[in-house]
Amino acid sequence: MKRIDEDLFARIRDQVAIVGIGHLPFSKDIGRPISDTAIEAIQMALDDAGLEAEDVDGMSMFEMEHTHEVTIARGLGVENLQWWDKITYGGGASCATIMHAAAAIATGLADVVVCHRARNRGSKTARPWAQERELVTDDKALHVPWGLIRPVDVIGMWAHRHMHQYGTTREQLGNVAIAARKHANRNPYAMMRDRPLDMPTYLAGRVIGYPLTLYDCCLETDGALACVVTSVERARDLKQKPVFVHSVAQASGPNPVHLANYNTPDMQTTAVPCAEQLWARSELKPKDMDCAQIYDAFTPLVILGLEDYGFCERGEGGPFTDGGRIEVGGELPLLTSGGGLSEAYTHGFNLILEAVRQVRGTSTAQVEDCKNVLVTGASGVATSAMVVRGE
Amino acid sequence: MVSDEVRFGERTGKVEDRPIGDLHPDYPLPDPDHPVVKPFWDGCRERRLLVQRDRETGAYHWPPKPGYWKHGRLEWVDAKGTGTVYTYVVGQEPFLPAFKSMLPHVMVVVELDEGPRLVGHMVECAPEAMRIGMRVEVVFKPLTERVTLPVWRAARAG
Repeated sequence: MKRIDEDLFARIRDQVAIVGIGHLPFSKDIGRPISDTAIEAIQMALDDAGLEAEDVDGMSMFEMEHTHEVTIARGLGVENLQWWDKITYGGGASCATIMHAAAAIATGLADVVVCHRARNRGSKTARPWAQERELVTDDKALHVPWGLIRPVDVIGMWAHRHMHQYGTTREQLGNVAIAARKHANRNPYAMMRDRPLDMPTYLAGRVIGYPLTLYDCCLETDGALACVVTSVERARDLKQKPVFVHSVAQASGPNPVHLANYNTPDMQTTAVPCAEQLWARSELKPKDMDCAQIYDAFTPLVILGLEDYGFCERGEGGPFTDGGRIEVGGELPLLTSGGGLSEAYTHGFNLILEAVRQVRGTSTAQVEDCKNVLVTGASGVATSAMVVRGE
Repeated sequence: MVSDEVRFGERTGKVEDRPIGDLHPDYPLPDPDHPVVKPFWDGCRERRLLVQRDRETGAYHWPPKPGYWKHGRLEWVDAKGTGTVYTYVVGQEPFLPAFKSMLPHVMVVVELDEGPRLVGHMVECAPEAMRIGMRVEVVFKPLTERVTLPVWRAARAG
């Protein structure tokens, strides 16, 4: 018998809010360990919220590098952490930090939870795939020994199949890269703020892993980002307009593999079951979204995400991007900060911060009257997603 | 996208695990003794491509599950070693040093005739000749005394 507590999701819905955000400037070499940058980013988010470290009693981190909660709590000046949580899966865990925080708050395990992602991979030596050697002992042993290790190739498999099966074109992938870049060009924090991108330049990008080329790939970034989550009652007394957590979901999907997840029916991604739960727990539908921050380590993931999260039918994600539809001013602006492709690649945590800014009305590529925003983790890995909304 | 949490086992350094040919010292070898996948690697060493099949339903399983899955319902059986290219990518620089001599490197997802989709790479095939849907057959490529990799080439007629 399934005992998922759908009432809990009703208790989360619009009853928990993101009240503070913060991040350090994005960099190719931040020169500090993440156990240090994480603390500063969280402090910035607390400042933004108008809260003190002493108010914090919960911590939910997107973490794969073994920094310790206690180090961060001590560095912040948290008096006593009562609840904490670490969530892994690169690209997949971003919204899950908020989901777990929201559940902790809704069940009374914590009152003020800080969520964060800090990650250093801007420099060439920091790229995990370049350090793959010797004995591969986990799931990766069934793809790495053939050379399938760079994320661009792992995702390229999905992209190439999609192009073959549905006729998705290079230009449609380019639409995603160009929309993200146009938005980044308006964002002073974006690593690509001064670099315009047009279709001829996109199409001339050098091949990294055919069929994907340079501009299909995200940036490499040292970054630290955080947000503060608390109950709506508490949020009412704070500095910022609360951004409500409306719906949350996590999913591994069937027969999952950590990365090269190709043995699902018709290569269905992990986002399909995630989206199903997300919308089932929501009073809103895809058509109600004013913009979407769809995880974009690579351009094809955005096209898959459009399909998986129900903005169009399977196979129609490519044409959906045509005609400026995904740019600010279009029907469904995507990646309005520039995303992982053009703002910073931080395993998608910057997408959460941008969703908050859109609902607050403070984005540098602001969508008019923006109220409802979808944020997603990566399609393909064990993932998560959420819908946030304003009053 | 890539996990930083992975811990690599200690290289066994066994005398019988010497590289064959000019294998790069940092080549990412699989652990042939991992209990779940050991029968697969043992099979490859004997030039057999083994996949798991459910004794009750006849369904093929991939990636492999533990031998105790549902009280031992899965058996390792020989696949025919033929299939079609379900999708592929062609890797260029920057790439792992261990594979640089193979660039442009054609990696494939092969849908076996039995159904499972296996990751592999092509041999004896120019990237320009690759097509999704093309027929391929397995070739066994020894890397060390203990690890033989199943790789793929265009199927030969007949």
